[in-house]
Amino acid sequence: MNATVEFYTVQPKDAPAEREDIRRLLAANDLELDDQIEAFVVCRREGRLVACAGLDHATIKCVAVAEDMRGESLSLDLGSEVIHLAAARGQFHLFLYSAPHNLPFFRGWGFYPLVEVPERVVLMENSPVAMERYCDSLRAQRRPGQTIGGIVLNANPFTLGHRYLVDQAARACDWLHVFVVKEDASLFSYADRYALVAAGVKDIDNLTLYPGSDYIISRATFPGYFLKDKGIVESSWAAVDLLLFRDYIAPALGIDRRYVGSEPFDAVTNSYNVQMKHWLQQTPSGERPVTVVEIPRASSGGVAISATEVRRLLAQRDFGRIAALVPATTLQFLESKFPVNHTVQ
Amino acid sequence: MKLRRSMLFVPGDNAAMLSTSFVYKPDSVMFDLEDAVAAREKDSARLMVYQALQHPAYRDIETVVRINGVDTEFWQKDLEAAVRGGVDIVRLPKTEKAQDIQELEAHVARIEKACGRPVGDTKLMAAVESASGVVNAVSIATASPRMVAIAMAGFDYLVDMHTRRSTGWEPELFYARAAVLHAARAAHIDAFDVVYGNVNDDEGFLREVNIAKQLGFNGKSLIHPKQIDLLHKAYAPTEEEVSRAKRVLAAAEEAHRKGLGVVSLDGKMIDPPVIHEAEMALQLAEAM
Amino acid sequence: MKVTKEAIAGTLESSDLLVKVAPSARGTRDIVIRSEVIKQFGKQIKHVVTDTLDKLSVSGGSIVVEDKGALDCVIRARVQAAVLRACECKELEWEHLS
Repeated sequence: MNATVEFYTVQPKDAPAEREDIRRLLAANDLELDDQIEAFVVCRREGRLVACAGLDHATIKCVAVAEDMRGESLSLDLGSEVIHLAAARGQFHLFLYSAPHNLPFFRGWGFYPLVEVPERVVLMENSPVAMERYCDSLRAQRRPGQTIGGIVLNANPFTLGHRYLVDQAARACDWLHVFVVKEDASLFSYADRYALVAAGVKDIDNLTLYPGSDYIISRATFPGYFLKDKGIVESSWAAVDLLLFRDYIAPALGIDRRYVGSEPFDAVTNSYNVQMKHWLQQTPSGERPVTVVEIPRASSGGVAISATEVRRLLAQRDFGRIAALVPATTLQFLESKFPVNHTVQ
Repeated sequence: MKLRRSMLFVPGDNAAMLSTSFVYKPDSVMFDLEDAVAAREKDSARLMVYQALQHPAYRDIETVVRINGVDTEFWQKDLEAAVRGGVDIVRLPKTEKAQDIQELEAHVARIEKACGRPVGDTKLMAAVESASGVVNAVSIATASPRMVAIAMAGFDYLVDMHTRRSTGWEPELFYARAAVLHAARAAHIDAFDVVYGNVNDDEGFLREVNIAKQLGFNGKSLIHPKQIDLLHKAYAPTEEEVSRAKRVLAAAEEAHRKGLGVVSLDGKMIDPPVIHEAEMALQLAEAM
Repeated sequence: MKVTKEAIAGTLESSDLLVKVAPSARGTRDIVIRSEVIKQFGKQIKHVVTDTLDKLSVSGGSIVVEDKGALDCVIRARVQAAVLRACECKELEWEHLS
């Protein structure tokens, strides 16, 4: 029983001195302090920082234990503390990225591996059954057919470009499964985006629309996707997201091809498409490869239709030009939600 | 007579310790729901203690639960868990006055009735941790027929007294120890000395144990199992004391057999307190 | 008792267990147990968990247990704590906890 060890929580943004100590401990463990972390559990022994674990929404990051303190008990206490911290913040389904050689350490925390980017990183979640149950729910939606397609849309908002992509895919497949990215990290809320997609594809008979999940382009499994303003392109993250699709989601639904629009404007998305071809088609694995079908973007007036452009025009309330780029259902929504009379935000 | 030399503190939230502390055979084991447990875990620790109390391994060992103080939102729920779980003694921290014990007793009786435990079965002890507590020690010790012990808690008391621990004969604790002891003896209950916090300092621990023993304390609150044996050995009578005790009791036995009203040994009269002391010495010797 | 929200209780330390309780979408009761000693004690752990849930009348919910070699009394306590947190129960009915 070591009475001099104490655990407590710090918010790195409010505690510069603690932040500095944490940075030093992480550096000693070859880790960099991640700015996205909202709260850290830290452990001090006689004033010295000996362990830390950070939390960014549902993802545990920056876990380090001082070399001289490594042994069962402290690391398990650290795990308990950060899991309880997450629970206090309403996060119960947790993820973490581990270097492959640390896998046993995190198994001790009750985390189970989902996918591994060989020799780089393992994505783990704190449940032995969550992914399995998610796949069960998908399997219940399987459809018969030779060609089963899949699309993942952010649709911020849903444009004629998205409609074109979905249309092309639905024509070429016996059945099409469409997922809407669930994070509320875009201009339009998930609820609104989903509603617009639903309205925009209502007439397509061979299509199932799915709410997004933690396992498809989420903050937990593909944080880089949401850091576009930093121009960060993290190939490991993209790999993890794509491996989840290839190893779990595609097999559950029998998807053999994934459709994407070609991406001339956005570096992260373009890089993602390149990664997609690599991981879904080329890397050997136990699962059937998924063909990536890149569809050239629909254009209007010679320019590829993009949601980015729609948002730009929206800022100017130029509904005249927007009308050429979005279906009527989207236009109706935009006009009612962003009336011309109010000041541009 | 129940020996109360060692009272081992066990954090109520610690599964490993709850599962093993009976192995060390302290005279009493004290499950702590107060300072050892964070506020957010009080509910979980309460259930741990409730379940542990009913574990067969704790049937043969005296159990104590330190509930939260009467000025908290936790103490009544703690009592439900402790009494219903079958605890032997409820320990009230930060006892300031007799009324605290009386309030405690009323609730304990209510719970005993509700759960079918004989009323009066659950005993009480008070921990005195402040100047007020020390000054009220006698009325606290006599506040209820359920009272079986009074303990001196050093840390909070010294803060209240605007001083801190020293070594040697520890003058800063002298009056408090004496007051608590006198209260215990006047009330015919047991007295416990303060916790010794430095588990790596056996020498310092034994020094303090000997002070307490010399003053007349029945025992001490302990925070680490290794302190148990050290304490028991320090309280063990010497061989000389044991052989004298045996002779005293033999003389008492013979006087009784012969129907004599007076016991004598080596030409001297032996008073009842001496006989009692001899009985205690043998009991301590047998416990080793 | 009705499980209305997610909750956890316990720790990852040796002799303890971490219990996660969540509402079940389908209204069924699903118990998942992981333990280092699953071979020797899996059945016993399952029995204690099930019995504890039955006594609390928990008919629906997802219960995941990460066991680190806990005694029955510890398993009972942690499952009870997690369930009570997940049911947002204010008043304890002690008869159901033995």
